[in-house]
Amino acid sequence: MMQMLQNGGIEIVTDQVRTADPDNPRGYLEYEAVKDIGKDASWLPQTRGKAFKMISLLLYHLPPTEQYRILFMERDPEEVVRSQEAMLQRLQRPAAPHTEMLESFRIHLAHLRAWLETRSDMSVMSVDYRDLIEQPVMQSEKISQFLDFRLDVAQMSAAVDPSLYRSRSGQTR
Amino acid sequence: MSKVTIEPNLYESAKKAAEVAGYSSVDEFVAHCLESEIRRLKVEAAESQVADQLRGLGYLN
Repeated sequence: MMQMLQNGGIEIVTDQVRTADPDNPRGYLEYEAVKDIGKDASWLPQTRGKAFKMISLLLYHLPPTEQYRILFMERDPEEVVRSQEAMLQRLQRPAAPHTEMLESFRIHLAHLRAWLETRSDMSVMSVDYRDLIEQPVMQSEKISQFLDFRLDVAQMSAAVDPSLYRSRSGQTR
Repeated sequence: MSKVTIEPNLYESAKKAAEVAGYSSVDEFVAHCLESEIRRLKVEAAESQVADQLRGLGYLN
């Protein structure tokens, strides 16, 4: 998604601290300060009109002092957890038991969705990960519309690489 | 049905709160409070577990 937005013409807020690895060969396009937003959100006003990546748990920390457009990446929780387990295995770090983690992740998502509906400062567009891979042009158009038609749809959709869709349900690559 | 013992003062407070909030009985009010708290604790535990996993992946400090 970050590659798509960048290709489409949106400035990405990134510090390139976390670089490409086998789990994400194109790089992470992350911004380290995002991880500490619960403690320090002073950098936030400088990101107006730009995009940054944030995991769902950190959305709770976004202060109501800004207006947000959130592209919420939806992926089969089973695939998410399996993908996390594969990454943790490569990093040689422990993972929580699969079924337990899956249940926790589902509880988190249900709670977060309900919470997002209470936030008038947040406009949310759900983007299905599988749809994005299978229909990049259509999904790029929808995203562009959500962002007031600011994006180059052709360039955006060209950033989608189906070969990076790993850990999909029913298979692990 | 199981019974739970609570202090008389707390019972009186619960009775008043239940009346103000429109519950049909103290039992209904207490059951609702317990359900809410159990739900909150469940979410808290789940999100704590998700956070631990994401910390291991480098997505959280």
